[in-house]
Amino acid sequence: MAKWGMVIDLDKCTGCQACTTACAMENNRLPGENWQDVLFYTEGTYPSAQLKWFPRPCFHCEDPSCVHVCPTKATYKDPNGGFVLIDWNKCIGCKYCMIACPYGVRFYTDEKPVVGGPTGGPGPDIREVFPGDGKRSWNPPWRAPDARDDWVHGVGIQPKGVVSKCTFCYHKVSKAPPGTPDLDEDDPALKEYVPACVRTCPPKARYFGDLDNPESRVSKLIADKRGVRLKDETGNKPQVYYLSGGAGPAVPSTRETVKKT
Amino acid sequence: MTTMTKSPVGLANTVLVASLAGLVIGLAIVLINLGAQGHAAFNTTSLGLMWGLPIVTYDYFVVTSTGLTLIACLSLTFGVRDFDPVARRCLWLALATLLGGVVSLMLELGHPLRSLYAIPLNLQTDSPLFWKMLFMTAYGVLLLVALARGGSRPGWGLAIALFAAALGVALLAGSVFGMMAMRPMRYGGEVPLAFLAEGLTGGLAFAVLGTYLAYGGQASMPEGVKRLMTGALPKVFALMIAITAAMVASRTVTGLWSNLDGLQVWEKIVASPLYHLHLWAGLVLPLVLMLLPSQRTDGTLQVTAALLVAVALFIGRYEFVIGGQLVPLFKGSWAPAFIDYAPSFTEWMLALTSLSLAALLYTAGDKILDLGALPQGED
Repeated sequence: MAKWGMVIDLDKCTGCQACTTACAMENNRLPGENWQDVLFYTEGTYPSAQLKWFPRPCFHCEDPSCVHVCPTKATYKDPNGGFVLIDWNKCIGCKYCMIACPYGVRFYTDEKPVVGGPTGGPGPDIREVFPGDGKRSWNPPWRAPDARDDWVHGVGIQPKGVVSKCTFCYHKVSKAPPGTPDLDEDDPALKEYVPACVRTCPPKARYFGDLDNPESRVSKLIADKRGVRLKDETGNKPQVYYLSGGAGPAVPSTRETVKKT
Repeated sequence: MTTMTKSPVGLANTVLVASLAGLVIGLAIVLINLGAQGHAAFNTTSLGLMWGLPIVTYDYFVVTSTGLTLIACLSLTFGVRDFDPVARRCLWLALATLLGGVVSLMLELGHPLRSLYAIPLNLQTDSPLFWKMLFMTAYGVLLLVALARGGSRPGWGLAIALFAAALGVALLAGSVFGMMAMRPMRYGGEVPLAFLAEGLTGGLAFAVLGTYLAYGGQASMPEGVKRLMTGALPKVFALMIAITAAMVASRTVTGLWSNLDGLQVWEKIVASPLYHLHLWAGLVLPLVLMLLPSQRTDGTLQVTAALLVAVALFIGRYEFVIGGQLVPLFKGSWAPAFIDYAPSFTEWMLALTSLSLAALLYTAGDKILDLGALPQGED
């Protein structure tokens, strides 16, 4: 089976956040629940301060600490494709996976709204505008077809009391023809299987393919351009690699790059 | 043989009524707010602070419970007869605090009922939480079995199993945090030992408070209890306070000295008045009180020291659980350097619920059961 992975070329990424928007639309995320985020940093001080950005999905790690700590096996490593997924039928909402993830990519949405509502600034809490029906924690009219809901793989709008995260668009990627080395949005036969963030990236900074296939473009890019992984020292071994050989944004080495406020 | 001596009926009744009122009011507010707002009633966020005051409360009471059982095990497992007069009292108090902690956890979880079957059935043996729940279940059952034997000394097998279960729960409670390499403030093999030491210290504090609540003062205590309270117990208490204070100081110095990313939270913690209340008023002052031979036997000072230590350990647990999350992990510049967190009203009410449940169970048990019974039979 494939071991799906992503390569993000930081020299090409413009920080436009089209990936964030596409992910939110594809997966019906709450405002602020950015499974795919672009993080902005400031480094240095005036007059040499620099604004930098860093696109960050879930890394679907090879040896994920979130999987090890989950007491119910709700979060698991899918052997068919290497996805790290959450079974919403098993999640007890203990949030230990959120504690253990070194990258902060998980969300527990039964909390005060990040955007809107009494604490999140102007606008309503969208969950109150489109309240859940008992099955979903909220219920927007523009959601994906019900038939595509897949709680075992964390696809769809989650019920209350569980943790959510990026699935690498499992509902699309898992349907790709077996043996496919790359999911390239330029290939008409494959574009429907490409993750939303990859497909929508305007500067084509993202590549998605089989990390176990030496002929895949992602494998070649990692080898040829010395792809690096975020916080590799934690041992989680992300399946998302960054290319940062040029003068553009680089992989932040520590959280010290976070702007002090 | 029993040593039942009832004196402070007025105080016990006051605690009973107050804890009943606290439980009803606290639980009602928590349930209403959780029903109306869900977990938005808590001030926890996906930004980085996922475990708030309910987890602090839960761990505080569970770890204290293990300490109380270990104190009882001095008598029941190791045959230290000096501790016979408080063994049964400590066991009951251990059960009360365990349930007080568990109620906080269950109301914090997204799916509390699911956890009851999903954890044992899925056998995720990699997870420290799996082992903690396994040991906690065994620990709770063993406590009940030991208490059901009335004044009889538990057999060797049960006594050893109870000791092992309490030890395991305390160490695993620490491992849940200590095994998290990605959170340097919490990471380290000494964390389970710190939890064990704090459990014993807290257990001793609760044992002192529970004993004085039962008897009022030393004048009303049976001879064995009085001998313990003026002899071995305050000395052991002083030793454990000293060890706990040393661990806090050691961790603080290491945290301030090291430049590992994430440890900068120690500067924030040390700048807080709570930290100094914890260390100086909550540990150093009681240590001085319990070290001085002329003062360590004074009942009023013992209760004062126990109260200070009980509060200090709660603050310490708060600093540890919350502090480990204050530096956000890769959230970008829209996240602050440190997360601001203050428990919500609902979270405080949940803490009140836990405290009230523990106090209610203890005082009710003290009225109904003969908690001063000396363990009968051979070791």
